[in-house]
Amino acid sequence: MSLIAPSRGGKGSQKSGARRAENNRIYAHPLPLVFLPPTFDSAYSPARLLSLVGLSAARVENPHCEGVFDPATRSVWVTNERDSTILWRRGFFGKGDLSRSEPSWLARQINARKAAGKYMTSEEIREKRRAERRQFKLDRAAAIARAAAEAEAAFAEGREAAPVAIPSGATWKPPSSGDSALPAMPPPEDEDSESEGEIEEEQPLENVEHLQLTLQEAWFLLWNLDCLTVLDPHTNKPMTLSQIWHTFLTAHPIPPLLRADAEQRFDNPFLVHYAAYHHYRALGWVVKGGIKFCVDYLLYKRGPVFHHAEFAVVVIPVYEDPEDQASSPFTLSNADTFSWTWLSTVNRVNSQVQKTLILTYVTIPARSRVSPDLLSSPACLAHFSVREVVLRRFIPARMRD
Amino acid sequence: MDKHPSYGVLSQYISKYPQAAGALFQTYNDLKLAQQWTDLEVIEIPGCSRCALRGRRPNAEDLLSVVPCSLSESLSTDWIRTTFQDLGGPPHVYLAINTEDSSIVYYKISPGIVKPPL
Repeated sequence: MSLIAPSRGGKGSQKSGARRAENNRIYAHPLPLVFLPPTFDSAYSPARLLSLVGLSAARVENPHCEGVFDPATRSVWVTNERDSTILWRRGFFGKGDLSRSEPSWLARQINARKAAGKYMTSEEIREKRRAERRQFKLDRAAAIARAAAEAEAAFAEGREAAPVAIPSGATWKPPSSGDSALPAMPPPEDEDSESEGEIEEEQPLENVEHLQLTLQEAWFLLWNLDCLTVLDPHTNKPMTLSQIWHTFLTAHPIPPLLRADAEQRFDNPFLVHYAAYHHYRALGWVVKGGIKFCVDYLLYKRGPVFHHAEFAVVVIPVYEDPEDQASSPFTLSNADTFSWTWLSTVNRVNSQVQKTLILTYVTIPARSRVSPDLLSSPACLAHFSVREVVLRRFIPARMRD
Repeated sequence: MDKHPSYGVLSQYISKYPQAAGALFQTYNDLKLAQQWTDLEVIEIPGCSRCALRGRRPNAEDLLSVVPCSLSESLSTDWIRTTFQDLGGPPHVYLAINTEDSSIVYYKISPGIVKPPL
């Protein structure tokens, strides 16, 4: 809900119909795999015969994206532009490391160089909004100071204070400036951004941005959809599935003496977070990081481009066996009983931005019951269970229905 | 990471403090390339076994100090006090909390109570 412009009922209705149609076209595929309808060449083609029986002969188009594992940042980097565009546009996987969401650093630099930026990227819109809010706060502080001075003067003279209008978020309008509001930048076609780079005379801009995938996102893509190859950073050779599993399990920093334990424990942070990530992705939600709202994940119904996230997820690990928690080399956050103040704080932060808080309890199997040998393959994930508790604050005086 | 242009500046600090390498790399790139800070320099704070960054925001005069850390770390008030000491007692310090998806959240920390500006 913007305090600057009058709220017009959510982000969706602020976009024009053409913009929404454009978004629907570009972000049409929810996953990197695309299912193409089968082609019926003749009446007796195999595809047609299959469809008579009730089986689909749809072809699957796999983009086969490539990424590099980076141990320092514990993530997978996708550096080539074709793959990062596909992974972002089909399912909103990853985040540009120099941008808010989609890798737009190069576009912003090109915009900045051109004298008249025709379009604004989301970062530039954010800067404009912040500048307006700063101006609003200055105006409000000045009005409050004027009201106080007026009240003092009136008291000294023994008369009624003249009313001073103090701007509120709903009534304040930004001072009309010379340049009209720039339209938000439409997602550039691949050809356009390349030709803009060539037109650049001054210094050829090298795109130093990459798309960064978390380990959970990368594992989801390569294990479930088989559309990502991960290269070893030292040899630049594709890693096998078991090598990647081993690497992801040992990526989290722990003291060197306890490092052997990482692959023998079910409470590995990668596993616990992956259980929650997989749970929501499999249900069709777009899952992104929630650090900005003090939570672990944000759930989007279709994607960040369409509407703000409706749900904020906090992952709470639950140990089936308390002994495992005592002997753990990992200190999982939220594994201990939380306090009311913490819960109220997180709930309040998210209520302010109209998100519903979901506590996701991930049960970690006991090492006494389930053999740690299972950890050598993703089969161990079947032993994790995920339950949700949805939280809303109830105010008896106001909520009577 | 070693193919990135920023690696040249940071390589000695990355090998010296490997635990804080990812956070330093992400924060340095964010400040230099995305936020376009000027006069950016790396300062070692051995008390916290990492490096801090000091520079200016675009169109601003003040030198600001940024201490990168990772979301998986747990910090203490002693740790924060050490950063203030090792940086020579600046009026405030920005804590850059890095996540694995490359989001960075900055928190401004001051030693003592500070009234909000407006």
